[in-house]
Amino acid sequence: MGHPNLATLALYAGGELGALTRWRMERHVARCERCRAEVEAFERTRQILPDLAEMPEVPWNRLAAEMKANIRLGLEAGECVRESRRLQPEWPRVTGIRAVVALASVTALLVTGMVLERPAPAPAAGDDSLVVQATGNGIQIRKGGQVLRLMNPNGMEASGQVTYSPDAEGSIRARYIDPQTGYVTINNVYAQ
Amino acid sequence: MRNSKLAGITVLALLSAAAAAAQEGPLPSGSVSINLPKDSPVALLSLASDPSRTSMRGAAMVLDLHMALTLRNTGTARIRGVTLRVVSQEVAMGGKGSVTIPSLNVGPGDVFPVRIDMQLVRPTQIAGGPLVVVDLDGVLFQDLSFYGPDRLNSRRYLTACEMEAQRDREHFKHILAQSGKDGLKQAMVASLARQAELQPLTVRVRRGGAAVASAALAGGEHLAQFAFLQFPGSPVEPVQGFAQVAGNEARAPMIVVRNASAKPVKYVELGWVVGDAAGHEYLAGSLPSPNLTFYLPAGNTARLEQESTLDFSSGGQPVSVRQMTGFISQVEFADGKVWVPNRQDMENPMLRKVLAPSAEEQRLSDLYRRRGVGALVEELAKY
Repeated sequence: MGHPNLATLALYAGGELGALTRWRMERHVARCERCRAEVEAFERTRQILPDLAEMPEVPWNRLAAEMKANIRLGLEAGECVRESRRLQPEWPRVTGIRAVVALASVTALLVTGMVLERPAPAPAAGDDSLVVQATGNGIQIRKGGQVLRLMNPNGMEASGQVTYSPDAEGSIRARYIDPQTGYVTINNVYAQ
Repeated sequence: MRNSKLAGITVLALLSAAAAAAQEGPLPSGSVSINLPKDSPVALLSLASDPSRTSMRGAAMVLDLHMALTLRNTGTARIRGVTLRVVSQEVAMGGKGSVTIPSLNVGPGDVFPVRIDMQLVRPTQIAGGPLVVVDLDGVLFQDLSFYGPDRLNSRRYLTACEMEAQRDREHFKHILAQSGKDGLKQAMVASLARQAELQPLTVRVRRGGAAVASAALAGGEHLAQFAFLQFPGSPVEPVQGFAQVAGNEARAPMIVVRNASAKPVKYVELGWVVGDAAGHEYLAGSLPSPNLTFYLPAGNTARLEQESTLDFSSGGQPVSVRQMTGFISQVEFADGKVWVPNRQDMENPMLRKVLAPSAEEQRLSDLYRRRGVGALVEELAKY
């Protein structure tokens, strides 16, 4: 087997190859130092990705409102342009197909907004080890694609009032004052 | 006109498809089970889980559970802390969670709320039975007696919280007696300022195969030595310690400790501070002794070690570990008594920069922030 390309190595690092290809890659990577280094680099990157994917306090509602406002502005600007075009009948008119394309674009924006509004599930760790960590909005234990997450109340993260305390045995605590109950609350997840 | 109708139908169809793809819905009945023993000193008065939902995200099922429990103290003693264990049988195999409320002051017959907000991500197959089981791990009373199965070592943790609470209440009462309300105000303002200045560190702990693989690939791994802060009154002294360090990862920490007290010890916890090349210091976490096997007779030494890998980042950037400092943060004797550092120990300049205040100091300073010094004085007078 020659050196696989980078895309195949990336898929292998993510555990996303079929059984036969994976078996062949395992044999190759075990012997080839260069490819092994590439796979390890991909694995390191994947380990960082969950942190990068966490965007805890992104104000989606505000962003959605801004997007809608921009779309409205664009449509209104379009209306202004259309008015001036009406004064110039020699210019081509907006056809039915163009209108459908424009509406489809707006719809795509709305659907994208809906998808972004929902919190995404944590990506897989890429291995079978147990990982405990603080996320953007709580603490979690993850194994493969399975996650158990204890959440902080909404908005706590932005206020910087959550204290995280991991321990080397494999647990992590999040401590905050619950704004609804007024009590100090300590969430804990354990890998043991 | 026909175009606008067509567009409307298209939008509706796409929105309907998006909603169908999400497949959101309420939790199936019986998804949550709350188990309290018959002789429990707390009783469940109500459970609300209305906003809880399930949804499909690709090949995974996401369960958002938001539970508001109301518990009543049905015993005869004041409650100082409660821990509820949260277990999902099928998610994150071997994993579990807990919700602890320390710093309580709940008299017999009084009620108190507990909120549990959790999210489970799991494969789509649903087996029968409850998805989440909540049960009581322990209750700590005013006299430091304890009720509960203590599967999560809640007794020790709640006792340590209460020891810290007593220490800090006494500290602030002393300030009030010495310097009056103005002195107490200054202390609270200083505490809040210190809390605001804490540098957050994101730590990820890995156990299992990936830790070894990750460490093996880190070419620059080397054995780094711990420095120690010694507290004069500590029953246990750190002697020496090491961890394998590579970049922003520390693996397999090991600390040798000596029991300097006259009593056997069954648990030791070491606080762990890391410093980067720029001189910033962060509280990385703690290194506990193994729970089941640890026993340290008076005068003897023992090793605290964990086969795990911790990686550190701050503000999304890796924190390269240049120095490590340890200090004894908690000791439990074989008779169940718990030692925590005193306020003088905590005045160490490094600890003042990195260590969050106790749960009780956080509660008291928050009370001051929200309701002023008068409410704080009233609160201190209750103890």
